[in-house]
Formats: sequence, C-alpha cells, structure tokens
Amino acid sequence: MMPIWTKSGKKHAVTLLKVQDCHVLRYVSKEESGGKTAKLLVGGKNVSPFSKPESAHQIFKEAGLPRKQKVTTFNVTDDAIIKPGTPLYAAHFRPGQFVDVTAKTIGKGFQGVMKRWGFKGQPASHGQTKTHRRPGAISTNKAAKVYRGKKMPGKMGNIYRTSFGLKVWRINTIHDIIYVNGSVPGHTNCLVKVRDSKLPTCKKYNKNPPFPTFFADGDEKLPEDLFDEEIFQFTDPSVTYT
Amino acid sequence: RCRASGDGKPEKFQPPPKPVIIDKQKQRAERRFLSPEFIPPRGRTDPLKYYMERKDMIQRRKVLNIPEFYVGHVLAVTTADPYANNKSNRFVGICIQRGGRGLGATFVLRNVIEDQGVEICYELYSPRIQAIEVLKLEKRLDDNLMYLRDALPEYSTFDVNMKPVSRLDHEEIPVNKLQVRMKPKPWSKRWERPKYNIKGIKFELPESKMKAAQKWSQPWLEFDMLREYDTSKIEEKIWQEVNEGLKT
Repeated sequence: MMPIWTKSGKKHAVTLLKVQDCHVLRYVSKEESGGKTAKLLVGGKNVSPFSKPESAHQIFKEAGLPRKQKVTTFNVTDDAIIKPGTPLYAAHFRPGQFVDVTAKTIGKGFQGVMKRWGFKGQPASHGQTKTHRRPGAISTNKAAKVYRGKKMPGKMGNIYRTSFGLKVWRINTIHDIIYVNGSVPGHTNCLVKVRDSKLPTCKKYNKNPPFPTFFADGDEKLPEDLFDEEIFQFTDPSVTYT
Repeated sequence: RCRASGDGKPEKFQPPPKPVIIDKQKQRAERRFLSPEFIPPRGRTDPLKYYMERKDMIQRRKVLNIPEFYVGHVLAVTTADPYANNKSNRFVGICIQRGGRGLGATFVLRNVIEDQGVEICYELYSPRIQAIEVLKLEKRLDDNLMYLRDALPEYSTFDVNMKPVSRLDHEEIPVNKLQVRMKPKPWSKRWERPKYNIKGIKFELPESKMKAAQKWSQPWLEFDMLREYDTSKIEEKIWQEVNEGLKT
C-alpha cells in the first residue's frame, strides 16, 4: 500500500496489484455451464507442474499453457468471448474505472466470539466469575431452540470476500501493475480476482474500456504509465493554490 | 652535480620531477548519504513494490530539492496553504523525528512560538511542500528528540527569521553533545528507562531512581540475532540506483 496525491493536495492510500502471467484457459458456452451467460476460465500465476497429478493438467494441455496456481471463472457476454490461450494484461483496465476485488481473507484460525463477531463480552471486575469474553445468552426462552446461523466461536478468515467500487488510479504497462484505491482483502502477495464493478453508481465511469481485452500485439502502443486525470504526477511542479 | 660514469659528452637535460599534488578534498572518502526512507523494511513484500516507489521518489526529488538532513537539524519548510494570506505557509523548527519508509516518509518539526510549543508532521514527498531549507546543521546524540517536549522550552525555541548558517560541503556534520535540562517530573514518557536509550538528557534525578529505572533494562536484546538487519549491501545498491536516477 502506498500513498497517492491528487492535484488538490489530498492524499489517498492505494494498493498495488500485479498481473502475473494471466491467460484465458477455456471457453464454456451458456448451454454447457447451465448458467445465464457464457463463462471464460482464466488462470493466474505460473507454477511448477510436478506437484499435481497428470489428470489435473488436462485443461492446461488443451490450451497449451504451463500450470497455473489459480483458475477462476468470469461470466462473459457472447460478444466478449476471447480465444483460449490469449494473455491478459493490466492494460485491460483503464485509470478512472471502478473495480471489484475478490480474495481470500487472512486466516485467523479458531477465534472467540469477541474477535469474530465483535461482541462486547463482560466486565473485567466487579464480581464476574470466570466470564469475561463469553457470548452470554444464545437464545430467548420462548424460542426454545437456538436459531440457525447463531453467531458463535469458530474458524475465522480464509474465506472469499469482495471489496466493491475501488477506483483505479494508475496502470503501469511494463510491469503490469494496477494501482487500486483503498485496501483489498488478503495478505501480502496473495492471489486476487479483479472484475469490473457491478455497482450501479459506477456504471458511467466504466464507459469505453478496451473491449474485449487489451491485445499486446495489436496496433495500440500505450505509454509506460497511464494516470487518472486527478492524480498529481511527480514530474509536475509542486501544488500551489490560487 | 657529479656524474657517476663520466662520458665527456654533455648529458641530456633531465627536467626536475613534477610536483605531486595531493588533493586532500578528493582523498577524504566521498561521504555517502542515503536518506533513511529509501531503505526497505524487512518483510515479505515483493521488492518490485519498493522499486516502483523509489522511481516515484527519485522523480519527485528531481523537481523538489530535498536536502540531506538528520534529526537535530533546524529546517524551514514552505507549504502551499489554501487558507493563508499568500497561499503559502513557512514554518521553522528542529527536526525531532524521521519516520516512515517509501513515499509516506514523514518528519516532525518542533518550535515554541509565543510560549506555545508547536509540532508539525510533514510528509517529505507531499506535493504541497514547495521548499525545504536547512538553516542549521548539527546532529544530536539521539535519533529521536521527543524528550524536548518535557525539556525546558528554551531548548526548543528557534528564531523564525533565522539566517541559514553557512557551511562547506565536505566538512563532517558536527555532533552537538548538548545535555538538555528537563522540567520537573511527571514527563510524557519515562525517559530515564533504558528502553529509550537517551544520551542527550542531563538527568538530575537521585541515584536510587536511576538505579530503579535500570530494572527495566533488557540486556539480551543486543545479542538477539533475529533482530539484526544488515542493510549495508542493500544500501549500496540503492545508493547507486538513486544516484543514477538523479543524474539523468
């Protein structure tokens, strides 16, 4: 996470996400998958093929790619289908766009009710006998049962969570880095899924993205860094107010 | 001059040996100063992230000259302020702490203005800073001068219209071995405890209190090998990278 300043002098915190060897692995049509839209399987970081059995390498052999650490599905409309084997780059996103980021949260292990659900617990003194961090009552008398989904101690973290509506401030095309506003679930160097935002207020900012994706061997030659309009670039002189 | 083997013929003119000029300035080892915010902390983050930050930091240093300064220097910082008269604000103070790594590096300046102690924490790479001037160069005995809050106010007062003290480039930065006198206890932190390792205070406490404070000493810490972080090689590489970046 890094600070970034706007032209008015305000500071925002930014997370750096690196796009590492992303390739499209397979196209699954609407009828095959049984959903409402077609799906594209996309694979992440390259990893050694020797730690998994040969049966797991089927998808990668069909596409002609080395084994990837993570394979995710993206629901795609029919006009955005990409041929399996095409690499995906950070330039797929543009500054000013809004993005949802999904990742597995940091695993905290088996945790009590105060840390997991934010219960208040009991006072430390004034006669409390062996009861300082316990949940207290778990149901009422009339219910005569404990409802399903009651908040109780258990394994916390290590589940997929999404942070919505994160603005993309900057994109580095050489190192394939996306600078995304705010924080992102997951520990440092964890694998993360980045999608265009589904929030209705962000629809107007997501106009004219590179469709279906950014092709490196195409005609477009992008500069090394793409900045949002409001970012203060360090090549400019210091900010002054008028 | 007598010739050893007389030949009879006139010897070829031997010019006198050229005087060897020993340039003492160059002989003195070039002082390398790498600002502490360039050194990456120990952790599991990808070095690529620090590389990207360093590129941005070098880019900013090309536009704004950030001079070499340590804790204990007296600096004057002009920032852009939308609510001030001339839209700019100049603050003079002694640097008591330098924190943070990378682009978020900060330094705290302290001064006493009209009997009110004022501390301002500035970000080194913030675009609102227009100029940083070093008015007085002197290192102190400690890295962290937070104890000046509990010292007598005369040690933190600096004239706002102070003129910069002239200094030659190659001289060593002088270390001021000033021992500061404190206000009566209670202090904001127990500065006599060995955890803070302060050498710049003249403790006027009784011997029994000083001995009682040594109870909290942790003498095993200096032998803890897991805490060692040898930055010499990393510093070399980063120094070369930064120098090359600043030259272009």
